[in-house]
Amino acid sequence: MAAARREPSPRCERKVRDTVLVVEDEVLVRMVVADELRKAGYTVIEASSAHEALDLLRNGVDVRVIFSDVRMPGPMDGVGLGRVVRSEFPMIKIVLTSGNLTPLDWAEHHGFFQKPYDAAKIIKHVKRLLD
Amino acid sequence: MSDKRESQQTILVVEDDVLVRMPIAQYLRDCGYKVIEASNADEAIQVLLHQETPVDVVFSDIDMPGAVDGFELAKWIREHRPGLDVLLAGTVPRAVESAENLCERGPVPKPYEAQVVHNHIRRLLAARNATKKP
Repeated sequence: MAAARREPSPRCERKVRDTVLVVEDEVLVRMVVADELRKAGYTVIEASSAHEALDLLRNGVDVRVIFSDVRMPGPMDGVGLGRVVRSEFPMIKIVLTSGNLTPLDWAEHHGFFQKPYDAAKIIKHVKRLLD
Repeated sequence: MSDKRESQQTILVVEDDVLVRMPIAQYLRDCGYKVIEASNADEAIQVLLHQETPVDVVFSDIDMPGAVDGFELAKWIREHRPGLDVLLAGTVPRAVESAENLCERGPVPKPYEAQVVHNHIRRLLAARNATKKP
């Protein structure tokens, strides 16, 4: 936690950018989409579960968009995460993805992408949500 | 841009506490490293087995839930990826001696300062680059 409180040294200055939180339990999938979003200019924070995502949000991490997998191990999936986010952090947009489900008309979200997805389309969608 | 990215050193940060992992990963990115985040040793091993993903330094917590902790991960790396630098961080004082055998510089005490980790990693990379030169 010391790292969170410490100011970066002058040579490690942080650029202010919109932050996207990627929630995905498959590390290689998370790594690739997070990398693509960073290349597109976003600050990307990674969570390996809905629990980690809520830990970050409830500790004041400022996020504009959440891109979350639906099916994840643990007590909460991406739909459950979306429900909590809508209630506790209504300003945050949530985009869902899954390899197993067709578009989630019954869940509240700001976009759904079937896996495997094209990262360029995710970036375009995130950009549209933030404009 | 592509040249810059290709020359970037990659750090694999392994830490189960997202509130520790996130700031250290962000800090190292701000310092110019490419950072891959793993939330446990199993994820780290998946990344290290992925041939297309080069990793220069592994920075891992010692105490992690699950079958493989930081020490076990370091042993796995020695067996499967010899030559890959490992930096361990933890609170287990009696493990310091073992850690020194696994890491070039020993573990970083927690809670760690981001600048300390950055300096450790820079030294590891500099030492490695120096040994590569003819």
